[in-house]
Amino acid sequence: MYLALKEIFHEKLRYSLIIAMIVLITYLIFILSGLSTGLAGENTQAIDSWGAKSMVLNKDANVNLNQSLITDRQAEDANLTNREAVIGQAPVVAKHQGSPKESSSFVGIKNDQFIAKNLKIASGHKVHNNRQVVVDDQFKSDGYRIGDKIQLNSLSDKYQIVGFTKDAKLNVAPVIYGTLSAWKQLRGMENTNAFGSAIASKNVNYNANNSQLKKYSIAYFISKLPGYSAQNTTFDFMIGFLMIISLIIIAVFLYILTVQALPTYAVLRAQGIPAAALVRTIMGQSLILMAAGIIIGAALTLLTSRMIPIGVPIAFNVPMLSMISVGLLFMGVVGAAIPARKIATVDPVQVIGG
Amino acid sequence: MSVIELKNINKYFGTGTAKVHVLHDINFSAAKGDLIVVVGPSGSGKSTFLTIAGGLQTPSSGEVIVEGKPVSELNKKQRDKLRLNQVGFVLQSYSLVPYLRVKEQFEFVRKIKPNGNLGHEELENLLNELGIESLVNKYPGQLSGGQTQRVAIARALYANPEIVLADEPTAALDSARVIEVGKMFKELAERHNKAVVIVTHDTRLMDFADQTYEILDGRMSVRKPTHITNNQFES
Repeated sequence: MYLALKEIFHEKLRYSLIIAMIVLITYLIFILSGLSTGLAGENTQAIDSWGAKSMVLNKDANVNLNQSLITDRQAEDANLTNREAVIGQAPVVAKHQGSPKESSSFVGIKNDQFIAKNLKIASGHKVHNNRQVVVDDQFKSDGYRIGDKIQLNSLSDKYQIVGFTKDAKLNVAPVIYGTLSAWKQLRGMENTNAFGSAIASKNVNYNANNSQLKKYSIAYFISKLPGYSAQNTTFDFMIGFLMIISLIIIAVFLYILTVQALPTYAVLRAQGIPAAALVRTIMGQSLILMAAGIIIGAALTLLTSRMIPIGVPIAFNVPMLSMISVGLLFMGVVGAAIPARKIATVDPVQVIGG
Repeated sequence: MSVIELKNINKYFGTGTAKVHVLHDINFSAAKGDLIVVVGPSGSGKSTFLTIAGGLQTPSSGEVIVEGKPVSELNKKQRDKLRLNQVGFVLQSYSLVPYLRVKEQFEFVRKIKPNGNLGHEELENLLNELGIESLVNKYPGQLSGGQTQRVAIARALYANPEIVLADEPTAALDSARVIEVGKMFKELAERHNKAVVIVTHDTRLMDFADQTYEILDGRMSVRKPTHITNNQFES
């Protein structure tokens, strides 16, 4: 480590440039990871808040909440306990004079079931009748206020906002919580035998006792949200490629520096300096460069998170960022392995001649 | 008594028709206090001789004995230890780590080998003796050729070896500096009681030698002490 630090401090410009490259990559990885987490969160915030372990949908709905419809007959043997809650979901556009239109996800729920019971109200109160709704606080950010009467789709009936709830987004759209009756009205299914879109259960092994219904684990249900897996896979690939790029950068730079310094390493070997000490030097250098890059990259990310506009879906998952940092450090060690091998096998005779 | 001895050393490179016999039955020894100069033109095999003597290469046949121990019995790590503790190398170039100040060159050795080095006072005396005490905060790139060579000698001596092997220590030095370096090695052998072996094509160093050998086409012979002022083996 002694040689590693001395060389870095002596060759400040050279090593600053390498660190700058690592900072940029780390920063990009952290921001992408933040966007990935933020977007993933906006897909699943509402589902996460319910705390359900499984979802029952119509088996022909292709695990799509929008497409699922459960009838009263299908649900007659469902045996709903206090661990189950019926959901009626419909995509809607909310309008109110003087405020921007909001493409939203209407979620009809029953007041006596666990989703409604556990719903956390940031301001206002819960829904008491079919003409009241509780909305995600994005509405508040966009200028909607408690008491506003909003129009949903082209229905003439209006719904009054009686409360705001935080972090209620489903498939990136802000959620409007209302009653199941309101959901039926929105879907044009009043006076029909529509029961709901899905049954959420806190029981992993819940059985709805109907061959037309199918139970999915919550993880599988989430993975099948439209665009969710594709979006996450894209981000994962980008982060993976950046990790590989960081590996290549550190390997190439250290290799070039090592090749330039081979005569010095050869002399040190001739003087009896153990190869292990020199290998530790290159490994130490790599770890110092990566650690410096990661720390500066993290600081820049923190600064960015303070300055980024509220609407940008970015969220930082500290354990995940820590794992990425460890991964980058590991890449540094792997990247240093090639130059380390070069040092370990340097032949002092070459520099002396012979 | 010899501290280093080479017995019937032969060295071949290559195989088959490309096989080259680089060293022929070399017999050589050096005792503490000796300054031995091995002269020879480029390609004569003197660097091979030096690397075999220092345990950097193994001979094809024969034996190298350092302080009574055959080097062939040592594994790679033990040979590293031998060079770190008992053999000091002074090389033509790159002898010093370019990003370490002069004082840090010694500090680095101390970090690798904490015991058996010169003490603080002994190092100061050595630096004074070599006239480099004012250079301790300089980087190798800020030193002249002669200063670099003196620092390299100090660095080799810091680990307190019994044997000092020098490869072309006067390369690129003018005549005045060659005399200076020659005197320095002579003092090093006598005052510090080291066995000093210099391989060089610079015959001017023969003036300072207790014993001179000549290598020609891989064959070593004792050279009679003559005072040669011209550099006979220009490479």
